[in-house]
Amino acid sequence: MEVEPDAELIAASLDDPERFGPLFDRHASVLYRYLIRRVGVDEAEGLLGDVFRIAFEKRSGYDPDRPDARPWLYGIATNLVAHRRRSEARRLDAVARLLGTVPTIDGAASGSDPTAERAAGRVDAEAGWPHIADAVAALPAGERDALLLYAWEDLSYAEIAEALAVPVGTVRSRLNRARAHLRELDVVSGR
Amino acid sequence: MDDDLERLRRLRPDRVEPDDPPEPAVFVRMKEQLMSQIATYEPEASIGATSDLYPRLAYADQLAAIEHLERVFQLHEIREARMDHGDHVLAWLRIGSGIVMLGPPNEEVHRIVSPRDAGATTVQMMVYVDDVDAHYARAVAEGADVTMALEDAFYGERRYEATDPEGHRWHFAERFAHIAARGGTVPEPQPEQDC
Repeated sequence: MEVEPDAELIAASLDDPERFGPLFDRHASVLYRYLIRRVGVDEAEGLLGDVFRIAFEKRSGYDPDRPDARPWLYGIATNLVAHRRRSEARRLDAVARLLGTVPTIDGAASGSDPTAERAAGRVDAEAGWPHIADAVAALPAGERDALLLYAWEDLSYAEIAEALAVPVGTVRSRLNRARAHLRELDVVSGR
Repeated sequence: MDDDLERLRRLRPDRVEPDDPPEPAVFVRMKEQLMSQIATYEPEASIGATSDLYPRLAYADQLAAIEHLERVFQLHEIREARMDHGDHVLAWLRIGSGIVMLGPPNEEVHRIVSPRDAGATTVQMMVYVDDVDAHYARAVAEGADVTMALEDAFYGERRYEATDPEGHRWHFAERFAHIAARGGTVPEPQPEQDC
């Protein structure tokens, strides 16, 4: 059986609201993880409910030419995160401190020798993970949103543009500015 | 050349500390909630539909106020209602069945001021919550300026009061009957007094 694109479900839900339900099944898990990454698990659950409630209430404005609703849902979630800057900063700070004390579990980013990994972890702590977290937290919200959607969520430029409701050129310039900020910091703490 | 992004990728929280896989029950519960919201949704319902009477509070720093009210007092902004006018914001927040509106001080048209500037407040927000013990614990943990500690009031409610960053005073309460119904302990009824 053909799977109906999100856009068709959304269109159908205008007359038959229950048709909106499968959108939750398709996207809730990804968005929940996104929210946990950005504000922590305590607030993520409540926000997840808001994302889908707001999406439902705004569904008549959905662009039917976009079959996949995920970027749109990312955009709603990102808007909600924008008002939890303090939770977000706390979350980043906690992660940065952890990075200094536990070996990374991301195999791609490290070798296989656990001693070396731990040593690298210590070096990372000294190299200033907390400073990087601070820098990310201090970025203008638009830049931070674009940057994290790109680096953490692996969205394309076009998807980020859709999520944040800005032109692709704006996504590109936000990413450039954000990366310039982070590179500056590297120079400062690079020794 | 991608070094800066590589560091950022390593900062992704679940790469540092793997999340437990989300509890399936979370999704079941959330979906049920969504479907019931969908079933009862009324497109024509406006913000005011929940409450035909709601206060408008003045804050010099509206965004700080929203952040505080959500984090410390567990109000919930109706995000899609927010009106951002550049130099100020109008916002509506919900708690239970109640709504407050907040905006900037406006002495010319509305003659309302932030209590911080007035040096006094003439209104107190009275709020019933589902579990005042938990509400109090959260507020304290989040650094609330508690102006009356949690106590059992003689008229049959547990209550506390706290002042927000600009001096609006908030009173949170739960009726003894409600506390007992959720399995909490409440004071023994006092013998009737002669009067």
